Amino acid sequence: MSYVLAKSQNDDIHKAGECGGAVTSILKYLLDEGIVDGVLAISPCDDVYDGVPTFVTNSEDLMKTAGSYHCAPTMIGDLVQKYLFDKKVAVTAKPCDMRAIEELIIRHKIDKDNIYVIGLNCGGTVPPVAGRKMIDLFYEANPDDVVSEEIDKGQFIIELADGSEEAVKIHDLEKEGYGRRTNCQRCDVKIPRKANIACGNWGAEDGWTFIEINDEKGQELIDGAKKAGILETKSPADPAIEGRKKVEGIMIKMAKKIQDKMYPTVNEIDDWNRCISCYACRDVCPICWCYENCELNKSFFKDEQNIPPSPIAFQGVRLSHMSFSCVDCGQCDDVCPMDIPVSLIFDKLQKKYFDRTGYVAGVSDGTKPPLYSPEKTEL
Amino acid sequence: MVLNLRYTVQKKPNYEVILMSDELKIVGLLCNWCCYGGADTAGTARMQYPPNVRIIRVMCSGRITPSMIFKAFQEGADGVFVGGCHIGDCHYDAGNYKWSRRSKIVEDILEEFGIERERFRHEWISASEGEKFKTTMEEFHKTLSKLGPLELK
Repeated sequence: MSYVLAKSQNDDIHKAGECGGAVTSILKYLLDEGIVDGVLAISPCDDVYDGVPTFVTNSEDLMKTAGSYHCAPTMIGDLVQKYLFDKKVAVTAKPCDMRAIEELIIRHKIDKDNIYVIGLNCGGTVPPVAGRKMIDLFYEANPDDVVSEEIDKGQFIIELADGSEEAVKIHDLEKEGYGRRTNCQRCDVKIPRKANIACGNWGAEDGWTFIEINDEKGQELIDGAKKAGILETKSPADPAIEGRKKVEGIMIKMAKKIQDKMYPTVNEIDDWNRCISCYACRDVCPICWCYENCELNKSFFKDEQNIPPSPIAFQGVRLSHMSFSCVDCGQCDDVCPMDIPVSLIFDKLQKKYFDRTGYVAGVSDGTKPPLYSPEKTEL
Repeated sequence: MVLNLRYTVQKKPNYEVILMSDELKIVGLLCNWCCYGGADTAGTARMQYPPNVRIIRVMCSGRITPSMIFKAFQEGADGVFVGGCHIGDCHYDAGNYKWSRRSKIVEDILEEFGIERERFRHEWISASEGEKFKTTMEEFHKTLSKLGPLELK
């Protein structure tokens, strides 16, 4: 594990990128050299609230994926698994994306040798609809005029077309029920250390990206991009490394505080009673990969007459299948038409499982979750 | 039912408890090689144990999934018992280790659904331990009688 500061040598990318364009440059290097067949990244569609996962095979198209989109939370782990498993791909991944990819690698659904993961440090994402509303309410700007947004030093910052910026403290937004998604508020994995490299601006000076190199593949990536003349690097000073550590520490501490507050508030029984068994949470879950073969589709569990379904035979079964591997990506919350805090319940059980076994989904080293392991040990 | 009432009048215990405990349903998932043998031993020796247990024979405790336990509760079981071989005695080498790890997550999840922890029990019973099977069933039946029938929310 080592640290470098990097920025793009290409002026266009440098300008378009969030902080120095290092990530876009590395992706461009991978595509140009033919190391990967394509790149899966997020590009905006109509505005900054509308992020579309895009598979880019031509490095000229990479420019539209540059920049970060906090208001467009998408999960790419299951996209790789469903559609790109037979290709060599490079993906950009938030910590929860990376955790999902790691869990899918454990389940042999993604080939580790076929995937390059450029990790992105993440302080949280904002739901698009609430994001628009919040900008309307708390800022003097029109949500449609926002050209880019950024989360930095505890503030949610928006930038308008004329270059002016406006910032509001995230804490104040969240007090009013806006701000980051609830699963992001309690997320305590801020740096994707299972990715080949983890990039971010914490600790970096302006115009540079701070990169943590996590493995040999990541080192090769940086060396290659440098050799190709697209990336400029320097080693960070000690205060920069300390600064980054401090930011991460503060974020994790805040998350733990919110966890303690949030877990006891959930009342599963009342929540499950709203369920209309649409199966959306199952279908969107990156860890649930069985699809047609899902146990819930089996005749002995299929229950189409009763709404709400019996919680224990519906959610109970799902919980027993994958709650120990829940990466708390919050997709299930996003899709639930009845606003059931699904991820909160699954995440709570993951934490319970952690207390028993020390296994953190998609973060812990070792080949398998203890539940799958052939080891002759009791818990 | 009539017989029961007469019985309870004579002994003067709490009617309700007796009625309820006779209606209690226990689902027992027993491993073919050990616990099922244990139940057999208890039967051959004509030991008396609560007749509320409905036994389902499975080849190994390692093939029992949490979903089976949940299904049993959903279908009206008041308690679920799982019996397997003693650790180290598994016919398939490590099935009971797998079950023991799985049982912990079952406990965690049941708690979330408002089902008392005591309604789910697992025990290692060998084929020769008829006595242990009997006492376990008696104990389990007693615990469930105290809790009464399960009302799923």
